[in-house]
Amino acid sequence: MAENGSNLQQFKEGVFSNNPVLVQLLGMCPTLAVTNSLENALVMGMAVTFVVVMSNLITSLLRNLIKPHVRILIFTITIATFVTIADLALKAYLFDVARKLGAFVPLIIVNCIIICRAEVVAIKSGVSRSLADALGIGLGFTMALCILGVVREVLGSGTLLNQHVLPRDFIEGGHTWVIMVLPPGAFLTLGAVVGVVNHLRERRAKGGAA
Amino acid sequence: MKKFVEESWLVLVMGVIFACLLAGTQTSLSARIAENQQRVLLQAIGEVVPGVETTEEFKIESNQVFKCLDKNGELVGWAVDASGGGFVDKIRLVVGIRADGREITGLKVIENLETPGLGNKIEGPWAEQYTGISTDLSLTVIKGDADPARGEISAITGATWSSRYVTDIVNDVLTRIRPKLAEQQ
Repeated sequence: MAENGSNLQQFKEGVFSNNPVLVQLLGMCPTLAVTNSLENALVMGMAVTFVVVMSNLITSLLRNLIKPHVRILIFTITIATFVTIADLALKAYLFDVARKLGAFVPLIIVNCIIICRAEVVAIKSGVSRSLADALGIGLGFTMALCILGVVREVLGSGTLLNQHVLPRDFIEGGHTWVIMVLPPGAFLTLGAVVGVVNHLRERRAKGGAA
Repeated sequence: MKKFVEESWLVLVMGVIFACLLAGTQTSLSARIAENQQRVLLQAIGEVVPGVETTEEFKIESNQVFKCLDKNGELVGWAVDASGGGFVDKIRLVVGIRADGREITGLKVIENLETPGLGNKIEGPWAEQYTGISTDLSLTVIKGDADPARGEISAITGATWSSRYVTDIVNDVLTRIRPKLAEQQ
């Protein structure tokens, strides 16, 4: 990739126009699986951000040493190492959330967003650009997960960050939409959010042409 | 051979560095992680055995059992750490048993990955219905209103299987562990 555009632009692209979840539709497994509450979404977002930053940093630093045909191997061991560190750190400092996320933290290893950034950006770019990219992608991922997390937690449990936000009668009367915290709720919400994003992008593209 | 080293030295070096990094992280955090797990366990014991101040830990078969004493050192009950298969993944829970071994004093699920919104209700107030049930009974899960005097447990609507799995673990504790508690007094 040519060094066109500033680091800031690279960062913004990751958050908005090239958002990993809402535009590229990558990393669907954690997006669908752990967004049943905002807390889970936030922690998953932070863990992925940490891993993508470390993976991009190391790949970028070593980019002139990495032989092309072993690059995937190097990406994989780098990612696996930092995912394990993130997993241990969560268990040590955020034990309750780590218990809820269960196997999905170790599964960050197979999150294609991370290896995609190493392959598309970090292996060909300098450290500052790779870091800007990783932070943008990490923030974009976290933001997308949080949007789903807010919608699903409010409608499905009537709470936000475990605090009641909907009237008590609504929650205790059993009027919450249980489907929103179940897997179908993830698909419904994701579909709706991606629809809105596509609509906005289309309108923007038309506006630009006029 | 030379080609082999040229091509792969970086992978080998990184492997060694990362292994050291992981070993370091594991060593520095493992004490804290174990402490977290222990805290959850002790908190659960406090909920299932009323009046517990100190515990003495021992093993019956593969289960960890806690002899619960009050502040005067009097026996107030027993807490059994037990686990078994669930609907999604392993369920781990603590069962409290009265000092004379004749009644369940509480049940607390401490690890489960059951379906959010349905099966994971096993960790909530649902589990209170085990309190007060005689340990001579074999517990059964039924739909609708249950009679605790007959060892009946009312299933969670939409999560009958999760309810059954919890009850299976409790029955296992009652038949396998409970008769051996008297020997420990």
